[in-house]
Amino acid sequence: MLQQILALAVIIFFISRLVQQKRKNQISKNELSLWLIFWIIAAAAIIFIHQIDQLVARLGFSGAAINILVYLVVVALIYQVFRLRLTIARLEKDLSQINQYLTLKK
Amino acid sequence: MKVSCIIPAYNEEKNIAAAIANVRPFVNEIIVIDDGSSDQSFALAKAAGAITLQHLINRGQGAALRTGTEYALNNGADIIIHFDADNQFQASEIPDLLQPIINKEAEAVLGSRFLEKKSQLPWGKKYLIMPLARLVNRLFFGIKLSDPQSGFRVLSRQTAEKIKIENDGMAHCSEILYQLFKNHSKIVEVPITVTYYHYGQKFSGGLKIIGDLIIQKIIK
Repeated sequence: MLQQILALAVIIFFISRLVQQKRKNQISKNELSLWLIFWIIAAAAIIFIHQIDQLVARLGFSGAAINILVYLVVVALIYQVFRLRLTIARLEKDLSQINQYLTLKK
Repeated sequence: MKVSCIIPAYNEEKNIAAAIANVRPFVNEIIVIDDGSSDQSFALAKAAGAITLQHLINRGQGAALRTGTEYALNNGADIIIHFDADNQFQASEIPDLLQPIINKEAEAVLGSRFLEKKSQLPWGKKYLIMPLARLVNRLFFGIKLSDPQSGFRVLSRQTAEKIKIENDGMAHCSEILYQLFKNHSKIVEVPITVTYYHYGQKFSGGLKIIGDLIIQKIIK
């Protein structure tokens, strides 16, 4: 119960930040909607955790299988973050080349 | 023989004029690359009589050195010096580093803080960061030098033409060393004195350098 309350508090914090960002026009309406949907689904999953647990068990998944699934998701996330890091590095390289070209062209 | 000194500067308004004045007696031209400073570095360098180039945005010391080196090569430099803007190096030691290249004893001369002249290095740098940097250079690049991260270096034109600085940040030091070794350039280390006005590269910075080198290797 305490863990659920803490998780919901974190989600409320992020939603309040989203609203603030929208008020300051730092994010678009579509971006706000996307993240709101994401956090609302996350909050719903936390609130109805027991029902989800029962549903998953009824579908035949064991605790170990779910653990493996979580590990795989974590690995996939790390892979995605790494790919993003590489993409950013390539963009930075391009940016530096443009910067150098403009500097030497002056 | 045209000797060009490249000085990258980022928010160095307090030091840049003095650095230019100190270096001037020993070189033919001074090229300051203002790396997107938000202070008066660019104007002060220009007023001090240096050739001034300006990055529109801050890209890091490696990027500034790349711009400066390319400019110097395009403008007929025979010898290129990389020097810092914060006056931590002694300009009076430039002739010591130039000599081996002029005498054709070396193609690249690297200043070292760990030879006869003793610099007052902060404890953490001397006993933790530098030995670790030496180990990384040795293990990953097969480089064996007394100073693994010196920014005070002199390159002959032919050597500078072969070096492609890919890393924008501080990883350029290891990258240049690696390319010098890969190209079998004749390297000489010369003792230098470094005065520390601030700590400079921290341990976390060292880890970032390793990360940058790995990423650079992957995206190459």
